[in-house]
Amino acid sequence: MKMPWTKKSTNETEATSVEETVLTSEKMQSVNLNAWFGEKQALIDINLPVKANAVTAIIGPSGCGKSTLIRCFNRMHELVPNARMSGKVLLDGKNIYASDVDPVLIRRRVGMVFQKPNPFPTMSIYDNVAAGLKLSGVKKGRNLDEIVERSLKQATLWDEVKDDLKKFGTSISGGQQQRLCIARAIALEPEVILMDEPCSALDPIATAKIEELIVSLKRDYTVVIVTHNMQQAARVSDFTAFMYLGKLVEFGDTDGIFEDPKNELTEKYITGKFG
Amino acid sequence: MVRLLDRGLEQLTVMVYKSGEIAKSAINMAISGFMNGKNAMDDVRDLSDVLNSMTVEIENKAFELIAKYQPVASDLRIINSYMKVAYDFERYGRYAWDISFTHKKLGELCECTVGSDLMSKLAEKVSLMVGKSVEALRQQDAELAKTLADTENEVDELYFKYLDQLSKSRVQNKAVMCNLLLSRYLERIADHTTYVGEAVVYIATGEKISLR
Repeated sequence: MKMPWTKKSTNETEATSVEETVLTSEKMQSVNLNAWFGEKQALIDINLPVKANAVTAIIGPSGCGKSTLIRCFNRMHELVPNARMSGKVLLDGKNIYASDVDPVLIRRRVGMVFQKPNPFPTMSIYDNVAAGLKLSGVKKGRNLDEIVERSLKQATLWDEVKDDLKKFGTSISGGQQQRLCIARAIALEPEVILMDEPCSALDPIATAKIEELIVSLKRDYTVVIVTHNMQQAARVSDFTAFMYLGKLVEFGDTDGIFEDPKNELTEKYITGKFG
Repeated sequence: MVRLLDRGLEQLTVMVYKSGEIAKSAINMAISGFMNGKNAMDDVRDLSDVLNSMTVEIENKAFELIAKYQPVASDLRIINSYMKVAYDFERYGRYAWDISFTHKKLGELCECTVGSDLMSKLAEKVSLMVGKSVEALRQQDAELAKTLADTENEVDELYFKYLDQLSKSRVQNKAVMCNLLLSRYLERIADHTTYVGEAVVYIATGEKISLR
């Protein structure tokens, strides 16, 4: 029998041919999305809509495929050796895996914030925010200063660091570093921000600040957050997706998922009866 | 897997069921008192006082569980519903006491010749509804809870029919006043049984419905 992982031998992604844009009201949408690490299938036929200017939380036990899913949303999954995927991920109706799409541009439109704050250790706070912009050709000067300030303000960090912009990015607290990373992502003016457990390394106060920030960010961006903290998903998200063993078990508005989930597995997971 | 929350939910459930049984006893005692001409005001007042304190205890326990465990889904529905139901049981107790008090103060059913058969039917149906609401909660039986809606309609019908008879009657004495108040209390109890029924449906199915 021909198994899905026998289709390709290396870390190739099934780049589909140039395609028409699909009319959709979703900002992003995965269509029959499958992903593998070598022979191990991590995602199975995921069809997940991501609404514009809303926060979508992805919850599920460890190893269920949450992080893999969002890494497919900005073409980071294919950077892992022996990793590959099939299916589509639509961004404004256009498949980001189409052959005419530049993955670098996709990663600019769909930013990522990771679990542990990872500011560039040799760079100042200012340079951390400006790094991506400089790489994109924005030159030093007033324009760059303005973008850095605006990004730090949007990340609710400006008031705390405005007098220390030349200090190393690693010299501030963990919570501030994570907001610095969010500022760095925002500076590139992405349309979607993916967050992979952005608070798991933070204390409750720093977590609360990031949560407030996530809620405020949806005015300008579409946010997808992977979290192990169900109360966090309930607090910050508008929509919640529950994943289990690589499958999307349930998706719906967050109030409904946490008040009256339709699937027994979701009920058991969010009430702590397994996981 | 037994969760820490499960133990708290179990304690809360026992408290609510106990409160339901006490509320049922209070109402049956009050109804039987005026139907049989034997007032039980002191006993009913004691039960009503117990229900008041139990409502506070149930609320405290519910808040403790919410604060400690941040429950969601069916756990949260149960806690939320138990708080509402505890209040309804407290109201059962209060109306039971109102019935006993009014009966003692104003007279007995046997003294009122207007529509006494309607009054008996009303009392019987309300007593039945109270028993059914407590049973539906115990069994978490949404279907049984939903049947309260029909009986509540019958109670309303009897109540308005009874008011009609009283308003047309030439008899004006304290027994009429007494029965007027008693019928009103019974009608209110019937309403509260439907609130309990709605809570049972919500616990069992997550569906928010109206049984009135």
